[in-house]
Formats: sequence, structure tokens, C-alpha cells
Amino acid sequence: MTTTFKKVGPPQLTMKVRVGEALLLTGFLGITGTLLLALLWAPSVSLEAFESPAAQRIFYWHVPAAWAAFIAFGALFVGSAGWLFKRSERMWRLHVAGAEAGLATGLITVWSGCVWGAAEWGTPWDWSDVRLNTFGLLTLLAVYLVLGRASQPDGIETRDTFAGFGLYGFVLVPFTYIATRIWAIRHPGPVVATGEEGSINGDMGLVLLVGAVSFTVLIVGHLLTSMLITNSEQRLLHLQRRMDGGER
Amino acid sequence: MEGMTYLAVGYFGMVVGIGLWTYTVVVRSRHLSDRLDAMEAALDRLDHDGEERA
Repeated sequence: MTTTFKKVGPPQLTMKVRVGEALLLTGFLGITGTLLLALLWAPSVSLEAFESPAAQRIFYWHVPAAWAAFIAFGALFVGSAGWLFKRSERMWRLHVAGAEAGLATGLITVWSGCVWGAAEWGTPWDWSDVRLNTFGLLTLLAVYLVLGRASQPDGIETRDTFAGFGLYGFVLVPFTYIATRIWAIRHPGPVVATGEEGSINGDMGLVLLVGAVSFTVLIVGHLLTSMLITNSEQRLLHLQRRMDGGER
Repeated sequence: MEGMTYLAVGYFGMVVGIGLWTYTVVVRSRHLSDRLDAMEAALDRLDHDGEERA
């Protein structure tokens, strides 16, 4: 396989890495702040409406994490399509970054949902709920892509296989999005983008917005940093081969 | 586990998890950057030595 690497000089590389890292750290501070706002400032919900009103505060992390996961899976889709149809190295790096970011945010969403479900429903998971299971499948797809890439040698065939999974796996995203609108089984219905007046008040909406912005910054930071990491790994491999006398 | 303890453990797990993940990404990025710099410096030295011998 012939691979071309964009040689990024040290000053540019450092600057790009720093932008990615700055976004990552800003996002992390933002989501930590969201957590504090959710616990200390956001208004309480009605005692009648929820079995566990305290656990409802997890919603300020759960929804933004799911939003960030959709951004990550969108990046995975674009990267997979770009690799399969254009054979673009940059798109392959986007595929890798999207899979890793999708795994991290997918796990946060699943974990926070399980914590809430255990408190509210008395069970962390419901195998009959479409939203839960399609989102769980998406996260498993990210697990497969990340672990698969780590264990397989890099090559066109391997990339094609993973990109194919990334491309077709994306069909679960719109399916997951509309699941609670079509099948209201156990997962609560949408509270934003409902087309009518939402069920959250101004302060709740503000905390949710801070969370969504913070998670978006975090995930963009991760995508940038991860793409640079993949580029560095590939360049390192290329240089090692050169050093061993194989390539010039 | 009861009420707020349960919730605190849930939240704490998430914060620690995402904090570790962020830290790992940053450390991986810096480590690779250092290795690349070292490798490029070594290759430059090899090229330079080769030119001198020629």
C-alpha cells in the first residue's frame, strides 16, 4: 500500500496539537461545570413526576453526551465514506477519530442512562426498548472498530472492512433519533426539538445548553487531537521503515 | 446504596472516566510528538553522516 503523509513541521504540529488539547481541556472544564450546575443550581423536578427526582439531574450530562455521540458517529460516517470512495488519508484519520470519540461519548451516555434507569425504573436496562438497544448497538459498533483497529495490521482490506461497518452502522443514528418519537416504550420522549413548547424551564434549558456546548467543544477537541495522533502514528511507522533501510 | 450516595458514585465514575480519557489522549499525543522529533533528528543525523562519507 502506498501511503503519503502530510509532513507537518514542528511549529505547525505543535500549534495544531495545542488547539486540540486546549479544546479538550476547555470541554472537560465545561462538562465538570455542567455537573456542578446540575447538582447545585438547576431547579428540582416535581416529586410526583419522578420516582427518583435527584437522579433526574443526570439528564444534564446524559443528553449532551448523546448529542456529542451523534456528532462523533457523524464524523465516523463521513470518514468511512471518504476513505471508501476517495481513498483519502485525512478521511481515514477522521474515521479513526470518530470511532474513538463515539466510543467515549457512547459509554458516557450508556453509563449515565443505566445509573438513571436503576434509580428511576428499578432496572438499569430494558431489552424491549428500541432507543436503548439501538444506541447500545451503536456503542458496540464503536467498541468493535476501536479494538479491531488496535489488533489488526493496517492495510487497505482492513480499512475497507472497518469503513464499511462505519458507513452502514450509521443507519442506526437516525433510527435511534426517531425511536422515542415512534416507539414510546420506556425511554422518556424528547424534551427539545419537539416542535412545540418543551417540558423544561429556562434554568433547566440553560444548564442543558452549557452541557451541550461543553460536550461539543470536548468532542471537537478529541476529533482534532485524535486525527493528529493517527497521523503521527503513521508517520512514525513510515520513519521506522526508512530507518530500517526499507524506504527513502 | 441509597439515594444521593448512589448518584454520587454514578457521577464520580463518569467524571473520573472522562478525565482519564482526556488525560490519556493528551499524553498519547505528546508522547508521539516527542518520538517523532527524536526519530526525525536521528534520521537527519544518518543522512548527514551518509553525505559526509560520500
